[in-house]
Amino acid sequence: MIRFENVTKVYDQKARPALDSINLEIDRGEFAFLVGASGSGKSTFLRLVLKEDRASSGAVYVAGQNVANISSWRVPRLRRGIGVVFQDFRLLPQKTVFANVAFAMQVIGKSRSVIRDTVPEVLKTVGLEGKENRLPHELSGGEQQRVAIARAVVNRPGILLADEPTGNLDPTTSMGIMGVLDKINQNGTTVVMATHDDDIVNEMRKRVVELKNGVVIRDEAKALYTSMIPIVGQSRRLRDASGRDEPQIIPPRAGSRAEARAEIRTAGEAQA
Amino acid sequence: MRLAFVLSEIGSGLRRNLSMVISVILVTFVSLTFVGAAGMLQLQINQMKGYWYDKVQVAIFLCSDGSTAPGCATGPATPEQEDNLRKLLQSPAVAQYVNDFQYESKDDAYKHFKEQFSNSPIVDSVTPDQLPASFRINMKDPEKYEIISETFSSQAGVETVIDQRQLLERLFSAMNAASLVAVSVAGVMIICAILLIATTIRLSAFSRRRETGIMRLVGASKMVIQLPFILEGVIAAVIGAALASVTLWSVAHFFLGEVLSKQYPDTAFISPGQTLILAPALIGLGVVLAGTSSLLTLRRYLRV
Repeated sequence: MIRFENVTKVYDQKARPALDSINLEIDRGEFAFLVGASGSGKSTFLRLVLKEDRASSGAVYVAGQNVANISSWRVPRLRRGIGVVFQDFRLLPQKTVFANVAFAMQVIGKSRSVIRDTVPEVLKTVGLEGKENRLPHELSGGEQQRVAIARAVVNRPGILLADEPTGNLDPTTSMGIMGVLDKINQNGTTVVMATHDDDIVNEMRKRVVELKNGVVIRDEAKALYTSMIPIVGQSRRLRDASGRDEPQIIPPRAGSRAEARAEIRTAGEAQA
Repeated sequence: MRLAFVLSEIGSGLRRNLSMVISVILVTFVSLTFVGAAGMLQLQINQMKGYWYDKVQVAIFLCSDGSTAPGCATGPATPEQEDNLRKLLQSPAVAQYVNDFQYESKDDAYKHFKEQFSNSPIVDSVTPDQLPASFRINMKDPEKYEIISETFSSQAGVETVIDQRQLLERLFSAMNAASLVAVSVAGVMIICAILLIATTIRLSAFSRRRETGIMRLVGASKMVIQLPFILEGVIAAVIGAALASVTLWSVAHFFLGEVLSKQYPDTAFISPGQTLILAPALIGLGVVLAGTSSLLTLRRYLRV
């Protein structure tokens, strides 16, 4: 669904590239976490998928299409196939929940009757039945993010990009949001989520792609936020972008999360 | 649906930016009024030129009822006197200065008069008998007017010889100068209008960057995103142009029609209806101004 082939993105010629020869493939229907420190290139990755920026070299394929070959007047069509959710929700404060979600359909010219049918359905999916007429400031943060998710998926995009969607939310609320994203993923939407939230990553046990200084240093299926084995060099378990190698699967570990985290910490210390 | 959406976006844009929109309306109104005033002066010049102005330079008016000139002692010009004058015009002495000449009978004169003064009440009180017949002469060299004047003034049946062009030329050059001034003022005002429209659209785009950001993300087309902004500027400019048209019409109706035409009944003024042919031009100009300046602004300040 999303394929990066040797993608490099340089913002400033003098500094190191934001993304450095990235090879990565995310399949249709997959759920992938993008983790890494600030400045590791997560946001650049998402921007390249949306064609907000051009890659300096290499090719970005979205739904089988090289985005470099999409002419500017067809970029809107590309974006209709991609939903986006942000940390700061980005709702329209003077519009109701219903109107916020309907806005995404209005601007691409959906008919009133389709909007009337679809919006309540989507609001039900994200768990906001009965709150159609609230304004964003009358909702909790978690509910606002659900509205934002509803808006992102109301046009049934094949891909959902989430840029730290739980960054402003408490752990319990975050888990609720993850439930919604998981449900959307179950319905066949590819989900790529950039996050710093280790609890969530550890809880979900999905694919984890870790970026550091613009390079993929880890790509594991059903993985944890931090690798449990110290990373030596950059050789370990880099997944071939062509998809020939199956990712190695680390079986879920027995034992409590606390135990796992203690191990992670020792691993981190060992690394240091 | 999309149309309704675009319209509601325009409405909210105009409401949020009301003071700027009003200033755009006023500036386009003033600038286009000046443009229109220049246009009106040109229309007026054309009106005053009448039927003969561009065709001949000198008119020999023949005696009619009630002429008091010395050559008219015998009353209205007779056919023999007309024949004499025609022969004189064709004689080598005169013909060397004349390109050609035409005879305007009383009926022709009445017809041309009615055309020129169609907007004036005077047309109802004039009959063909009151208008003099005339010879209209196209000179080879308009400067040689004196020769014609000397030759014909003393002829029997001639009331007067007039160089119409020279009389009107001075007035027309004053009016042309006035329209040039109006156009220059309009030019400055139009620059103001363009800059003001650009600023207004920029503010409008800035105050709605949240909406447009979301519109981009959900894949709204460039047109749906930009059209409301462009139409905002265009609507304001069209209102300004409409106000300018109404102003010009009022000037023609109340000032020219009611005041000046009473004071100068023998001058042909343009009718209020004639100013309305300026309206589409003014509105078109307003649309082009607002459209291009908002398009250029959006290209810089609203990424799609």
